[in-house]
Amino acid sequence: MSEAAVVVDDVSKKFRLYKEKNDSLKTAFMRGRRSVHEDFWALKDVSFEVPEGSTFGLVGRNGSGKSTLLKCLAKILYPNSGSISSRGKVASLLEVGSGFHPELSGRENVYLNGSILGMSRKDVDKKFDEIVDFSGVRKFIDQPVKNYSSGMYVRLGFSVAINVDPDVLVVDEILAVGDAAFQAKCKEKFAEFRRAGKTVILVTHSMGNIRDMCDHAAWLDNGSLVQVGDAQSVMKAYTADIDKGDR
Amino acid sequence: MTYLSELFASRELFYNLTMRDVKGKYRRTVLGQLWSLINPLATMLVYTLVFSFIFRARPSVGDPSGLDIYPLWLMTGLLPWLFFTRVVTGGMSSVIGNAGLIKKVYFPRMHLPFSVAGSVGYTWAIEMGVLVVALTVFGGMPLIWVPVAVLFMVLLALFALGLAMLLAIGNVYFRDLQHFTSIALQMWMYLTPIIYPLHLVEDQAEVHGQWILDVYRLNPMERFVSVFRELLYDNRWPDLGDSLVCVAWTVAMFTIGFLVFKRSEKRLAELL
Ligand SMILES: Nc1ncnc2c1ncn2[C@@H]1O[C@H](COP(=O)(O)OP(=O)(O)O)[C@@H](O)[C@H]1O
Ligand SMILES: [Mg+2]
Repeated sequence: MSEAAVVVDDVSKKFRLYKEKNDSLKTAFMRGRRSVHEDFWALKDVSFEVPEGSTFGLVGRNGSGKSTLLKCLAKILYPNSGSISSRGKVASLLEVGSGFHPELSGRENVYLNGSILGMSRKDVDKKFDEIVDFSGVRKFIDQPVKNYSSGMYVRLGFSVAINVDPDVLVVDEILAVGDAAFQAKCKEKFAEFRRAGKTVILVTHSMGNIRDMCDHAAWLDNGSLVQVGDAQSVMKAYTADIDKGDR
Repeated sequence: MTYLSELFASRELFYNLTMRDVKGKYRRTVLGQLWSLINPLATMLVYTLVFSFIFRARPSVGDPSGLDIYPLWLMTGLLPWLFFTRVVTGGMSSVIGNAGLIKKVYFPRMHLPFSVAGSVGYTWAIEMGVLVVALTVFGGMPLIWVPVAVLFMVLLALFALGLAMLLAIGNVYFRDLQHFTSIALQMWMYLTPIIYPLHLVEDQAEVHGQWILDVYRLNPMERFVSVFRELLYDNRWPDLGDSLVCVAWTVAMFTIGFLVFKRSEKRLAELL
Protein backbone atom coordinates (compact mmCIF):
# COMPACT_ATOMS: atom_id res chain seq x y z
CA MET A 1 0.00 0.00 0.00
CA SER A 2 1.21 3.51 -0.74
CA GLU A 3 1.86 6.01 1.99
CA ALA A 4 -0.93 7.61 3.97
CA ALA A 5 -2.18 11.01 2.87
CA VAL A 6 -4.11 11.47 6.10
CA VAL A 7 -3.56 9.76 9.42
CA VAL A 8 -6.38 9.95 11.94
CA ASP A 9 -4.95 8.86 15.25
CA ASP A 10 -7.21 8.10 18.19
CA VAL A 11 -9.39 11.14 17.65
CA SER A 12 -12.14 12.02 20.11
CA LYS A 13 -14.36 15.06 19.95
CA LYS A 14 -16.65 16.27 22.68
CA PHE A 15 -19.50 18.75 22.37
CA ARG A 16 -21.27 20.47 25.17
CA LEU A 17 -25.00 20.05 25.05
CA TYR A 18 -26.63 22.81 27.04
CA LYS A 19 -29.66 22.05 29.16
CA GLU A 20 -29.76 25.64 30.14
CA LYS A 21 -27.67 28.03 28.20
CA ASN A 22 -26.91 31.41 29.57
CA ASP A 23 -25.37 33.70 26.99
CA SER A 24 -26.51 36.98 28.39
CA LEU A 25 -24.52 39.25 30.68
CA LYS A 26 -27.70 40.59 32.18
CA THR A 27 -28.82 37.27 33.61
CA ALA A 28 -25.27 36.29 34.52
CA PHE A 29 -24.85 39.36 36.68
CA MET A 30 -28.31 40.04 37.94
CA ARG A 31 -29.46 36.55 38.73
CA GLY A 32 -26.14 34.75 38.89
CA ARG A 33 -27.33 32.13 36.43
CA ARG A 34 -24.77 29.71 35.13
CA SER A 35 -24.98 27.45 32.13
CA VAL A 36 -25.74 23.79 32.72
CA HIS A 37 -24.33 21.36 30.22
CA GLU A 38 -23.68 17.73 29.58
CA ASP A 39 -20.80 16.30 27.58
CA PHE A 40 -21.56 14.49 24.38
CA TRP A 41 -18.88 12.54 22.55
CA ALA A 42 -19.47 12.89 18.82
CA LEU A 43 -16.27 10.96 18.01
CA LYS A 44 -14.76 8.27 20.17
CA ASP A 45 -11.19 7.04 19.64
CA VAL A 46 -11.39 7.00 15.87
CA SER A 47 -8.23 5.86 14.09
CA PHE A 48 -7.62 5.09 10.43
CA GLU A 49 -5.37 5.97 7.54
CA VAL A 50 -6.33 7.30 4.17
CA PRO A 51 -3.91 6.02 1.51
CA GLU A 52 -2.49 8.60 -0.83
CA GLY A 53 -4.30 8.82 -4.14
CA SER A 54 -7.38 7.00 -2.94
CA THR A 55 -10.96 8.12 -3.04
CA PHE A 56 -12.17 7.47 0.45
CA GLY A 57 -15.85 7.22 1.35
CA LEU A 58 -17.22 7.88 4.83
CA VAL A 59 -20.54 6.24 5.64
CA GLY A 60 -22.83 5.98 8.61
CA ARG A 61 -26.29 6.90 9.80
CA ASN A 62 -27.34 10.48 10.44
CA GLY A 63 -25.64 11.84 13.50
CA SER A 64 -22.89 9.26 13.49
CA GLY A 65 -20.18 11.92 13.39
CA LYS A 66 -19.21 12.04 9.72
CA SER A 67 -19.46 15.80 9.37
CA THR A 68 -17.72 16.28 12.70
CA LEU A 69 -14.83 14.16 11.47
CA LEU A 70 -14.60 16.07 8.20
CA LYS A 71 -14.58 19.36 10.10
CA CYS A 72 -11.71 18.08 12.21
CA LEU A 73 -9.87 17.16 9.02
CA ALA A 74 -10.53 20.65 7.68
CA LYS A 75 -9.24 22.31 10.88
CA ILE A 76 -12.61 23.92 11.53
CA LEU A 77 -13.01 21.89 14.71
CA TYR A 78 -10.18 20.67 16.91
CA PRO A 79 -10.26 17.22 18.52
CA ASN A 80 -10.23 17.02 22.31
CA SER A 81 -7.72 14.23 22.12
CA GLY A 82 -5.81 12.40 19.44
CA SER A 83 -4.36 13.97 16.35
CA ILE A 84 -4.82 14.27 12.63
CA SER A 85 -1.91 14.71 10.30
CA SER A 86 -2.09 15.19 6.59
CA ARG A 87 0.43 15.50 3.81
CA GLY A 88 0.03 18.52 1.59
CA LYS A 89 -2.69 21.09 1.30
CA VAL A 90 -6.15 20.15 2.50
CA ALA A 91 -9.21 21.90 1.07
CA SER A 92 -12.75 21.33 2.16
CA LEU A 93 -16.07 21.59 0.42
CA LEU A 94 -18.52 21.67 3.28
CA GLU A 95 -20.78 24.37 2.01
CA VAL A 96 -20.24 26.21 -1.19
CA GLY A 97 -20.55 29.92 -1.70
CA SER A 98 -20.15 30.81 1.97
CA GLY A 99 -18.46 34.17 2.04
CA PHE A 100 -20.02 35.41 -1.17
CA HIS A 101 -20.97 39.04 -0.92
CA PRO A 102 -24.33 39.68 -2.62
CA GLU A 103 -23.45 43.19 -3.84
CA LEU A 104 -20.21 42.14 -5.51
CA SER A 105 -20.04 40.70 -9.00
CA GLY A 106 -19.44 37.04 -9.72
CA ARG A 107 -15.92 37.91 -10.84
CA GLU A 108 -15.09 39.75 -7.60
CA ASN A 109 -16.60 36.95 -5.56
CA VAL A 110 -14.47 34.36 -7.33
CA TYR A 111 -11.37 36.22 -6.18
CA LEU A 112 -12.74 36.75 -2.67
CA ASN A 113 -13.85 33.15 -2.26
CA GLY A 114 -10.61 31.88 -3.75
CA SER A 115 -8.60 33.74 -1.15
CA ILE A 116 -10.84 32.52 1.67
CA LEU A 117 -10.04 29.01 0.46
CA GLY A 118 -6.35 29.80 0.43
CA MET A 119 -5.66 30.64 -3.21
CA SER A 120 -3.45 33.55 -4.15
CA ARG A 121 -4.51 36.14 -6.67
CA LYS A 122 -2.13 34.60 -9.19
CA ASP A 123 -3.68 31.16 -8.68
CA VAL A 124 -7.12 32.57 -9.34
CA ASP A 125 -5.89 34.51 -12.39
CA LYS A 126 -4.54 31.29 -13.85
CA LYS A 127 -7.67 29.29 -13.13
CA PHE A 128 -10.24 31.98 -13.75
CA ASP A 129 -11.44 30.79 -17.13
CA GLU A 130 -11.58 27.21 -16.00
CA ILE A 131 -13.63 28.21 -12.96
CA VAL A 132 -16.07 30.26 -14.98
CA ASP A 133 -16.46 27.66 -17.70
CA PHE A 134 -17.02 24.93 -15.18
CA SER A 135 -19.72 26.94 -13.44
CA GLY A 136 -21.49 27.80 -16.67
CA VAL A 137 -22.36 31.33 -15.56
CA ARG A 138 -20.01 33.22 -17.87
CA LYS A 139 -22.78 35.43 -19.21
CA PHE A 140 -23.51 36.72 -15.72
CA ILE A 141 -20.00 36.87 -14.33
CA ASP A 142 -20.02 40.67 -14.06
CA GLN A 143 -23.46 40.81 -12.48
CA PRO A 144 -23.82 41.07 -8.69
CA VAL A 145 -24.38 37.59 -7.30
CA LYS A 146 -27.57 38.69 -5.55
CA ASN A 147 -29.16 38.44 -9.00
CA TYR A 148 -28.08 34.82 -9.39
CA SER A 149 -30.46 31.92 -9.05
CA SER A 150 -29.59 29.62 -6.19
CA GLY A 151 -28.38 27.02 -8.67
CA MET A 152 -25.97 29.47 -10.28
CA TYR A 153 -24.78 30.58 -6.88
CA VAL A 154 -23.98 27.06 -5.81
CA ARG A 155 -22.35 26.17 -9.10
CA LEU A 156 -20.05 29.15 -8.99
CA GLY A 157 -19.12 28.43 -5.37
CA PHE A 158 -18.46 24.81 -6.20
CA SER A 159 -16.33 25.71 -9.21
CA VAL A 160 -14.10 27.92 -7.12
CA ALA A 161 -13.71 25.31 -4.40
CA ILE A 162 -12.95 22.46 -6.73
CA ASN A 163 -10.30 24.49 -8.50
CA VAL A 164 -8.34 25.19 -5.32
CA ASP A 165 -6.12 22.31 -6.41
CA PRO A 166 -5.42 20.74 -3.03
CA ASP A 167 -3.59 17.51 -2.35
CA VAL A 168 -6.45 16.30 -0.20
CA LEU A 169 -10.04 17.29 -0.92
CA VAL A 170 -12.67 16.84 1.79
CA VAL A 171 -16.27 16.81 0.55
CA ASP A 172 -19.46 16.65 2.62
CA GLU A 173 -22.73 15.67 1.00
CA ILE A 174 -22.67 18.32 -1.63
CA LEU A 175 -22.88 16.07 -4.64
CA ALA A 176 -26.60 16.55 -4.26
CA VAL A 177 -26.39 20.11 -5.58
CA GLY A 178 -27.01 21.14 -9.15
CA ASP A 179 -28.77 19.39 -11.97
CA ALA A 180 -27.81 16.04 -13.43
CA ALA A 181 -25.49 17.59 -15.99
CA PHE A 182 -23.62 19.51 -13.31
CA GLN A 183 -23.36 16.42 -11.13
CA ALA A 184 -21.87 14.52 -14.01
CA LYS A 185 -19.30 17.29 -14.46
CA CYS A 186 -18.44 17.07 -10.77
CA LYS A 187 -17.92 13.34 -10.94
CA GLU A 188 -15.69 13.82 -13.92
CA LYS A 189 -13.73 16.38 -11.91
CA PHE A 190 -13.27 13.90 -9.05
CA ALA A 191 -12.10 11.26 -11.52
CA GLU A 192 -9.59 13.77 -12.86
CA PHE A 193 -8.45 14.34 -9.31
CA ARG A 194 -7.87 10.67 -8.83
CA ARG A 195 -5.96 10.36 -12.07
CA ALA A 196 -3.73 13.19 -10.89
CA GLY A 197 -2.94 11.08 -7.81
CA LYS A 198 -4.85 13.26 -5.36
CA THR A 199 -6.80 12.08 -2.37
CA VAL A 200 -10.51 12.68 -1.97
CA ILE A 201 -12.44 12.03 1.24
CA LEU A 202 -16.16 12.23 0.80
CA VAL A 203 -19.42 11.74 2.63
CA THR A 204 -22.40 10.82 0.56
CA HIS A 205 -25.69 9.14 1.14
CA SER A 206 -25.83 7.72 -2.32
CA MET A 207 -24.64 4.12 -2.33
CA GLY A 208 -24.25 4.49 -6.06
CA ASN A 209 -21.73 7.28 -5.61
CA ILE A 210 -19.69 5.23 -3.20
CA ARG A 211 -19.70 2.20 -5.48
CA ASP A 212 -18.74 4.23 -8.57
CA MET A 213 -16.14 6.44 -7.05
CA CYS A 214 -14.57 5.08 -3.90
CA ASP A 215 -11.86 2.50 -3.48
CA HIS A 216 -11.66 2.74 0.31
CA ALA A 217 -14.30 3.42 2.92
CA ALA A 218 -14.86 3.78 6.65
CA TRP A 219 -18.06 3.21 8.54
CA LEU A 220 -18.89 5.26 11.59
CA ASP A 221 -21.65 4.54 14.03
CA ASN A 222 -22.43 6.70 17.05
CA GLY A 223 -19.03 8.28 16.90
CA SER A 224 -17.09 5.03 16.82
CA LEU A 225 -15.37 3.40 13.90
CA VAL A 226 -17.05 0.11 12.98
CA GLN A 227 -15.05 -0.92 9.97
CA VAL A 228 -12.46 0.46 7.60
CA GLY A 229 -10.98 -1.05 4.49
CA ASP A 230 -11.66 -1.49 0.83
CA ALA A 231 -14.93 0.07 -0.25
CA GLN A 232 -16.61 -3.14 -1.35
CA SER A 233 -16.37 -5.01 1.91
CA VAL A 234 -17.21 -1.99 4.06
CA MET A 235 -20.24 -1.23 1.94
CA LYS A 236 -21.33 -4.83 2.10
CA ALA A 237 -21.21 -4.86 5.88
CA TYR A 238 -22.88 -1.46 6.09
CA THR A 239 -25.76 -2.36 3.77
CA ALA A 240 -26.26 -5.61 5.61
CA ASP A 241 -26.50 -3.69 8.87
CA ILE A 242 -29.01 -1.23 7.43
CA ASP A 243 -31.15 -4.05 6.05
CA LYS A 244 -31.07 -5.73 9.42
CA GLY A 245 -32.14 -2.47 11.09
CA ASP A 246 -35.00 -2.02 8.65
CA ARG A 247 -36.47 -5.37 9.40
CA MET B 1 3.93 27.10 10.59
CA THR B 2 3.71 29.53 13.43
CA TYR B 3 0.61 31.58 14.03
CA LEU B 4 2.10 34.86 12.92
CA SER B 5 3.67 33.52 9.77
CA GLU B 6 0.38 31.94 8.76
CA LEU B 7 -1.38 35.23 9.36
CA PHE B 8 1.18 36.99 7.24
CA ALA B 9 1.10 34.38 4.50
CA SER B 10 -2.65 34.90 4.12
CA ARG B 11 -2.46 38.69 3.91
CA GLU B 12 -4.18 38.59 0.55
CA LEU B 13 -7.27 37.39 2.36
CA PHE B 14 -7.05 40.43 4.61
CA TYR B 15 -6.88 42.62 1.54
CA ASN B 16 -9.81 40.88 -0.14
CA LEU B 17 -12.02 40.94 2.95
CA THR B 18 -11.23 44.62 3.39
CA MET B 19 -12.12 45.38 -0.20
CA ARG B 20 -15.27 43.30 0.13
CA ASP B 21 -16.43 45.69 2.83
CA VAL B 22 -15.22 48.81 1.07
CA LYS B 23 -16.78 47.93 -2.27
CA GLY B 24 -19.87 46.27 -0.89
CA LYS B 25 -20.86 49.11 1.37
CA TYR B 26 -21.35 51.85 -1.17
CA ARG B 27 -21.83 49.81 -4.29
CA ARG B 28 -24.89 50.79 -6.26
CA THR B 29 -25.83 53.75 -4.18
CA VAL B 30 -26.20 56.87 -6.28
CA LEU B 31 -23.51 58.84 -4.52
CA GLY B 32 -21.23 55.85 -4.01
CA GLN B 33 -18.15 56.58 -1.97
CA LEU B 34 -19.33 60.15 -1.31
CA TRP B 35 -21.76 58.77 1.24
CA SER B 36 -18.87 58.04 3.53
CA LEU B 37 -18.15 61.77 3.74
CA ILE B 38 -21.73 62.88 4.22
CA ASN B 39 -22.08 61.11 7.53
CA PRO B 40 -19.24 62.95 9.34
CA LEU B 41 -20.24 66.22 7.69
CA ALA B 42 -23.77 65.92 9.05
CA THR B 43 -22.40 65.13 12.51
CA MET B 44 -20.11 68.13 12.25
CA LEU B 45 -23.00 70.44 11.41
CA VAL B 46 -25.12 69.23 14.30
CA TYR B 47 -22.36 69.47 16.90
CA THR B 48 -21.26 72.86 15.61
CA LEU B 49 -24.79 74.16 15.83
CA VAL B 50 -25.38 72.81 19.31
CA PHE B 51 -22.03 73.33 20.98
CA SER B 52 -20.59 76.30 19.17
CA PHE B 53 -23.70 78.44 18.63
CA ILE B 54 -25.92 77.39 21.50
CA PHE B 55 -23.49 76.41 24.27
CA ARG B 56 -20.74 78.71 23.00
CA ALA B 57 -17.94 76.22 23.49
CA ARG B 58 -14.71 78.02 22.61
CA PRO B 59 -11.67 75.93 21.80
CA SER B 60 -8.33 77.51 22.44
CA VAL B 61 -6.71 79.15 19.44
CA GLY B 62 -4.38 76.86 17.53
CA ASP B 63 -0.81 77.42 18.68
CA PRO B 64 1.16 78.12 16.49
CA SER B 65 -1.32 77.68 13.63
CA GLY B 66 -3.57 80.52 14.81
CA LEU B 67 -6.68 78.63 13.69
CA ASP B 68 -9.86 79.44 15.58
CA ILE B 69 -12.59 77.55 13.77
CA TYR B 70 -14.78 75.30 15.90
CA PRO B 71 -15.92 72.84 13.17
CA LEU B 72 -12.31 72.12 12.14
CA TRP B 73 -11.16 71.85 15.73
CA LEU B 74 -14.06 69.51 16.38
CA MET B 75 -13.28 67.27 13.43
CA THR B 76 -9.60 66.76 14.33
CA GLY B 77 -10.89 65.07 17.48
CA LEU B 78 -14.14 63.62 16.20
CA LEU B 79 -12.79 61.77 13.16
CA PRO B 80 -10.34 59.68 15.23
CA TRP B 81 -13.10 59.01 17.73
CA LEU B 82 -15.56 57.89 15.06
CA PHE B 83 -12.91 55.60 13.60
CA PHE B 84 -12.27 54.15 17.04
CA THR B 85 -15.94 53.40 17.73
CA ARG B 86 -16.52 51.93 14.25
CA VAL B 87 -13.58 49.57 14.64
CA VAL B 88 -14.66 48.53 18.12
CA THR B 89 -18.31 47.92 17.26
CA GLY B 90 -17.63 46.49 13.79
CA GLY B 91 -14.72 44.37 14.96
CA MET B 92 -16.58 42.97 17.93
CA SER B 93 -19.50 41.83 15.78
CA SER B 94 -17.32 40.54 12.96
CA VAL B 95 -16.98 37.09 14.51
CA ILE B 96 -20.67 36.53 15.15
CA GLY B 97 -21.56 38.19 11.88
CA ASN B 98 -19.45 35.71 9.96
CA ALA B 99 -20.55 32.64 11.89
CA GLY B 100 -21.58 30.89 8.68
CA LEU B 101 -18.12 31.30 7.25
CA ILE B 102 -16.33 30.26 10.43
CA LYS B 103 -18.35 27.07 10.67
CA LYS B 104 -17.73 26.06 7.08
CA VAL B 105 -14.24 27.13 6.09
CA TYR B 106 -10.87 27.19 7.74
CA PHE B 107 -8.91 30.44 7.53
CA PRO B 108 -7.10 32.54 10.12
CA ARG B 109 -10.08 34.08 11.90
CA MET B 110 -8.16 37.13 12.98
CA HIS B 111 -8.57 38.50 9.48
CA LEU B 112 -12.20 39.22 10.31
CA PRO B 113 -11.59 41.98 12.89
CA PHE B 114 -8.45 43.06 11.00
CA SER B 115 -10.41 43.61 7.82
CA VAL B 116 -12.96 45.71 9.69
CA ALA B 117 -10.11 47.96 10.80
CA GLY B 118 -8.90 47.92 7.20
CA SER B 119 -12.16 48.98 5.62
CA VAL B 120 -13.04 51.51 8.32
CA GLY B 121 -9.48 52.78 8.13
CA TYR B 122 -9.85 53.25 4.38
CA THR B 123 -12.82 55.54 4.94
CA TRP B 124 -11.05 57.28 7.78
CA ALA B 125 -8.00 57.98 5.63
CA ILE B 126 -10.23 59.71 3.06
CA GLU B 127 -11.93 61.73 5.79
CA MET B 128 -8.59 62.78 7.27
CA GLY B 129 -7.36 63.72 3.80
CA VAL B 130 -10.33 66.02 3.30
CA LEU B 131 -9.77 67.48 6.77
CA VAL B 132 -6.12 68.22 6.04
CA VAL B 133 -7.14 70.01 2.85
CA ALA B 134 -9.73 72.04 4.76
CA LEU B 135 -7.24 72.92 7.50
CA THR B 136 -4.77 74.07 4.87
CA VAL B 137 -7.37 76.15 3.04
CA PHE B 138 -8.25 77.94 6.28
CA GLY B 139 -4.64 78.85 6.97
CA GLY B 140 -3.15 75.95 8.92
CA MET B 141 0.03 74.09 8.03
CA PRO B 142 -0.89 70.47 8.74
CA LEU B 143 0.86 68.97 5.71
CA ILE B 144 4.32 68.53 7.23
CA TRP B 145 2.74 66.82 10.24
CA VAL B 146 0.91 64.24 8.17
CA PRO B 147 3.64 61.56 8.45
CA VAL B 148 3.56 61.75 12.26
CA ALA B 149 -0.23 61.80 12.21
CA VAL B 150 -0.24 58.64 10.07
CA LEU B 151 1.96 56.96 12.67
CA PHE B 152 -0.58 57.79 15.37
CA MET B 153 -3.40 56.64 13.12
CA VAL B 154 -1.72 53.25 12.96
CA LEU B 155 -1.31 53.25 16.75
CA LEU B 156 -4.97 54.12 17.25
CA ALA B 157 -5.98 51.40 14.80
CA LEU B 158 -4.00 48.80 16.76
CA PHE B 159 -5.40 50.05 20.05
CA ALA B 160 -8.96 49.84 18.72
CA LEU B 161 -8.26 46.42 17.24
CA GLY B 162 -6.99 45.09 20.54
CA LEU B 163 -10.18 46.15 22.26
CA ALA B 164 -12.29 44.88 19.34
CA MET B 165 -10.67 41.42 19.44
CA LEU B 166 -11.20 41.17 23.18
CA LEU B 167 -14.85 42.18 22.88
CA ALA B 168 -15.40 39.94 19.83
CA ILE B 169 -14.55 36.91 21.96
CA GLY B 170 -16.60 38.22 24.87
CA ASN B 171 -19.50 38.67 22.48
CA VAL B 172 -19.43 34.98 21.57
CA TYR B 173 -20.04 34.08 25.20
CA PHE B 174 -22.40 36.93 26.04
CA ARG B 175 -24.55 37.97 23.13
CA ASP B 176 -25.81 41.14 24.80
CA LEU B 177 -22.30 42.52 25.26
CA GLN B 178 -22.89 44.60 22.11
CA HIS B 179 -25.61 46.63 23.77
CA PHE B 180 -23.50 47.32 26.82
CA THR B 181 -20.61 48.32 24.60
CA SER B 182 -22.62 50.82 22.60
CA ILE B 183 -23.89 52.44 25.79
CA ALA B 184 -20.37 52.50 27.22
CA LEU B 185 -19.02 54.07 24.02
CA GLN B 186 -21.59 56.85 24.18
CA MET B 187 -20.62 57.69 27.74
CA TRP B 188 -16.97 57.36 26.83
CA MET B 189 -17.34 59.97 24.10
CA TYR B 190 -18.64 62.56 26.56
CA LEU B 191 -15.79 61.73 28.94
CA THR B 192 -13.31 62.60 26.19
CA PRO B 193 -12.62 66.20 25.16
CA ILE B 194 -13.99 65.91 21.64
CA ILE B 195 -16.84 68.38 21.48
CA TYR B 196 -15.62 70.53 24.36
CA PRO B 197 -12.03 71.59 25.11
CA LEU B 198 -9.92 70.06 27.87
CA HIS B 199 -9.51 73.41 29.61
CA LEU B 200 -13.13 73.27 30.78
CA VAL B 201 -12.16 70.20 32.81
CA GLU B 202 -8.96 71.88 33.97
CA ASP B 203 -11.01 74.82 35.24
CA GLN B 204 -13.24 72.51 37.26
CA ALA B 205 -10.19 70.67 38.63
CA GLU B 206 -8.78 73.94 39.90
CA VAL B 207 -11.95 74.60 41.85
CA HIS B 208 -12.78 71.08 43.09
CA GLY B 209 -9.38 69.41 43.33
CA GLN B 210 -6.60 68.15 41.11
CA TRP B 211 -7.76 64.52 41.35
CA ILE B 212 -10.58 65.26 38.90
CA LEU B 213 -8.07 65.95 36.16
CA ASP B 214 -5.91 62.98 37.14
CA VAL B 215 -8.82 60.60 36.88
CA TYR B 216 -10.09 62.25 33.71
CA ARG B 217 -6.73 61.76 32.02
CA LEU B 218 -6.64 58.02 32.69
CA ASN B 219 -8.75 57.79 29.56
CA PRO B 220 -6.43 56.75 26.70
CA MET B 221 -8.70 58.34 24.10
CA GLU B 222 -8.12 61.71 25.75
CA ARG B 223 -4.41 61.27 24.92
CA PHE B 224 -5.06 60.23 21.34
CA VAL B 225 -7.43 63.13 20.72
CA SER B 226 -4.92 65.58 22.22
CA VAL B 227 -2.14 64.25 20.03
CA PHE B 228 -4.20 64.55 16.83
CA ARG B 229 -5.20 68.11 17.77
CA GLU B 230 -1.63 69.13 18.49
CA LEU B 231 -0.42 67.67 15.21
CA LEU B 232 -3.13 68.77 12.81
CA TYR B 233 -4.89 71.74 14.42
CA ASP B 234 -2.05 73.36 16.37
CA ASN B 235 0.69 72.10 14.02
CA ARG B 236 3.31 71.22 16.61
CA TRP B 237 5.00 68.21 18.14
CA PRO B 238 2.62 66.36 20.45
CA ASP B 239 3.36 66.28 24.15
CA LEU B 240 5.96 63.58 24.78
CA GLY B 241 4.13 62.23 27.83
CA ASP B 242 0.87 61.91 25.89
CA SER B 243 2.64 60.17 23.04
CA LEU B 244 4.27 57.65 25.35
CA VAL B 245 0.98 56.94 27.08
CA CYS B 246 -0.61 56.29 23.65
CA VAL B 247 2.15 53.84 22.78
CA ALA B 248 1.88 52.06 26.13
CA TRP B 249 -1.91 51.68 25.88
CA THR B 250 -1.62 50.43 22.31
CA VAL B 251 0.99 47.81 23.15
CA ALA B 252 -0.95 46.62 26.19
CA MET B 253 -4.38 46.57 24.54
CA PHE B 254 -3.27 44.94 21.32
CA THR B 255 -1.28 42.28 23.14
CA ILE B 256 -4.20 41.38 25.39
CA GLY B 257 -6.70 41.34 22.53
CA PHE B 258 -4.38 39.32 20.31
CA LEU B 259 -3.64 36.68 22.96
CA VAL B 260 -7.26 36.29 24.02
CA PHE B 261 -8.41 35.99 20.43
CA LYS B 262 -5.67 33.54 19.53
CA ARG B 263 -6.52 31.36 22.50
CA SER B 264 -10.22 31.18 21.69
CA GLU B 265 -9.91 31.06 17.93
CA LYS B 266 -9.84 27.29 17.63
CA ARG B 267 -13.06 26.88 19.56
CA LEU B 268 -15.05 29.51 17.70
CA ALA B 269 -16.65 27.09 15.24
CA GLU B 270 -18.36 25.13 18.00
CA LEU B 271 -19.19 28.10 20.21
CA LEU B 272 -21.08 29.93 17.49
N1 LIG C 1 -21.66 22.18 17.29
C1 LIG C 1 -22.27 21.11 17.85
N2 LIG C 1 -22.71 21.18 19.13
C2 LIG C 1 -23.30 20.12 19.71
N3 LIG C 1 -23.50 18.94 19.12
C3 LIG C 1 -23.10 18.80 17.85
C4 LIG C 1 -22.46 19.87 17.14
N4 LIG C 1 -22.18 19.44 15.90
C5 LIG C 1 -22.61 18.16 15.83
N5 LIG C 1 -23.16 17.77 17.00
C6 LIG C 1 -23.71 16.43 17.30
O1 LIG C 1 -22.73 15.48 16.97
C7 LIG C 1 -23.34 14.33 16.40
C8 LIG C 1 -22.69 14.02 15.08
O2 LIG C 1 -23.06 15.01 14.14
P1 LIG C 1 -22.56 14.99 12.63
O3 LIG C 1 -21.09 14.85 12.63
O4 LIG C 1 -23.13 16.18 11.96
O5 LIG C 1 -23.24 13.68 12.05
P2 LIG C 1 -23.39 13.20 10.54
O6 LIG C 1 -22.70 14.17 9.65
O7 LIG C 1 -22.77 11.85 10.53
O8 LIG C 1 -24.86 13.13 10.27
C9 LIG C 1 -24.82 14.64 16.29
O9 LIG C 1 -25.48 13.98 17.34
C10 LIG C 1 -24.90 16.12 16.44
O10 LIG C 1 -26.10 16.47 17.10
MG1 LIG D 1 -23.45 15.46 8.17
